[in-house]
Amino acid sequence: MAPLQDENRWRPLVEECFRREAGSQTSIPDSAQDLIETGVLDSMGWVSFLRGLESASGVNDLGAYLTEHTSSFESIFQAFQGAQAEGHSLAADSSDAKQATARAPVIIASSCAVVGSRAIPSGEIDKAFGMPDGKLRLRAGIESVAYAAEGENELTLGARAAQQALHSAACGAQQLDWIIATSETHRGYPSLAAQLHSHLLARENCGALDVGGACLGLLNGFAVAQALIAAGPARTIVVVSSDVHSRIFTPGRVAGEFGGLFGDGASAFLLCATAGIVPQHAYTLGEFFFGCAGQYAGAIRVAQSADGNLDAHFDGEALSRAAITRLEKVVREAELRSGISRSSLLGLATHQPNPRLVRLLAKQLGLPDDKFPLVAQTFGNLGSSTCGVALDTVLQSARSNHPGKYGPIFMASLGPGLLFGGGWLIAA
Amino acid sequence: MTKLLITEITRMGPAFCVIGLQREKEKIRSVRPVSATANSWLHFPFHRGDVLQCDLAPFSGAKPHIEDRVSTRGFQKDSAVPEPEVVTYLRKAEFAGSLPELFRCVLHENRNGSGLFAMPLEPKRSICGTETRNLRLELRANELRATLVLSSGEVLRDLPVVDRDWRDFIDAARAEDRGANRVARLEQFLNSQFHYKILSCPYHFIRLGLTRPYHDLCWLMLDTLFPLPKQEWLEEF
Repeated sequence: MAPLQDENRWRPLVEECFRREAGSQTSIPDSAQDLIETGVLDSMGWVSFLRGLESASGVNDLGAYLTEHTSSFESIFQAFQGAQAEGHSLAADSSDAKQATARAPVIIASSCAVVGSRAIPSGEIDKAFGMPDGKLRLRAGIESVAYAAEGENELTLGARAAQQALHSAACGAQQLDWIIATSETHRGYPSLAAQLHSHLLARENCGALDVGGACLGLLNGFAVAQALIAAGPARTIVVVSSDVHSRIFTPGRVAGEFGGLFGDGASAFLLCATAGIVPQHAYTLGEFFFGCAGQYAGAIRVAQSADGNLDAHFDGEALSRAAITRLEKVVREAELRSGISRSSLLGLATHQPNPRLVRLLAKQLGLPDDKFPLVAQTFGNLGSSTCGVALDTVLQSARSNHPGKYGPIFMASLGPGLLFGGGWLIAA
Repeated sequence: MTKLLITEITRMGPAFCVIGLQREKEKIRSVRPVSATANSWLHFPFHRGDVLQCDLAPFSGAKPHIEDRVSTRGFQKDSAVPEPEVVTYLRKAEFAGSLPELFRCVLHENRNGSGLFAMPLEPKRSICGTETRNLRLELRANELRATLVLSSGEVLRDLPVVDRDWRDFIDAARAEDRGANRVARLEQFLNSQFHYKILSCPYHFIRLGLTRPYHDLCWLMLDTLFPLPKQEWLEEF
């Protein structure tokens, strides 16, 4: 049988997902071979393989095209063709990651990260929470945490990061079309974005938008900013994360094994539509993808109880397992979707629940530890700002330590739910 | 002589697995009759709700299928109980409201694709009932899969549906003599009337099970979905 039109475009993706399901040693079957009937995959494996393909290709209902067809590569190629005929844009169409970003050319013009001014050794945190000395360091790998000083809060930290980012790009606040803010600790009104708007003296008709997602908030913010720029007149957006955990997760309110992990910090990224001229050292936003793995919903829950206290449920072991599994999956998905090999990355800006888990993730991915900036080890888990501080660190290192060598950057994060998201950046 | 209330008949390939409830003093527990030579039955002419008389002997089956018992002679139908009553008994047997409690072990996510599994030596049982807040069935490339949310809020996706009656119903809905667009009509049914029929049913209940170890993993599956499908529903789409 003659190959289908465009079969070669999808084949690498299909083969890669097949190998992941069936094992790298399994030989690639003939296109017409029925994988279930010939015992190459069982029905579990077949559906799992399709889920992997859906995820990697962005065609979320590929399985629907395959009902009443054989379980073969040939059927899959036909399904892709059918999906494309119905208007799906396929991630696999882009053999080059740069092509994928061409639809929404948004660059990070500048960035900045700040942390709380007080550096507290983890031993002091152990003591404050009534835990044995050394517990945070030995169990989680945290050496110190950054706590906000008196006078510092989500607004001041976020504003400082935003102002520095604007300053670095020589961009006035009046040029901003949107301020997008995210925080997992700011709970007052006016919202953080509104307060930042006033503080930065943005134009009155500059929008102010708060996005949620807790530790995933920064990626949510990037995706929203990218969509706003792609959709309409917005050209310049600052995305700000800011979290001050030290006033919420306090001794007596939450257990030290949970509350002791967190620090305070903020990050800001100035995103601009490219207009032909691209600043030196700039990175272009690639694609972002998101989801929610609800089977882990019970691993972490924080709610306000009727008496005003915090009701925090935290299953450390389940959460660790979920975090590693999901972050690894997100990185693998970013790799598949972008066509960028993890070995070519300059760095990974991921959520860092604690340093021990970051090392474990690096090991699982077969990457050296130094691909992951040390955020949680020195500052603690900064919530939505962990990813931001990590990304700023990688961007700064691209500018200073790697002149002329700007490898791609992956982003991956998680939030309670278990929300997950990932994406990539490439040198502009 | 044991009286067994048949609560589960599952189908994978050509064979059936059967699970029933056995009363032991005040306790009701699940028992899986197997033959001396196989874990499943190629012919099982009974239905859920049937009360069967049988002789069961202990069986040192592989973990986690601790419910296995060898049936030492044929089954004989004694009586039958209606569907809602079966569920009443199921609620008194193994029951859990959250993921870790289902099989009292850690359930792992498939790193490559979909599905959840347990390591064979870890689960304390291989069958458990639970309530759902929401449930959806869908056809994924010819395979029937369930996605559901437990009362704890935890979501389980892509569970293979092995409930014999539901699989038979789906097969009947896809039969060639049902005319054109039958898959699309079935999908429409699963996305609309099915949802109402299942979730509004006062005795809606499910049981989840673990497969026998396959490549050293026991996969989670939807063994039973109450209410059972009705033949007349086929006339509705």
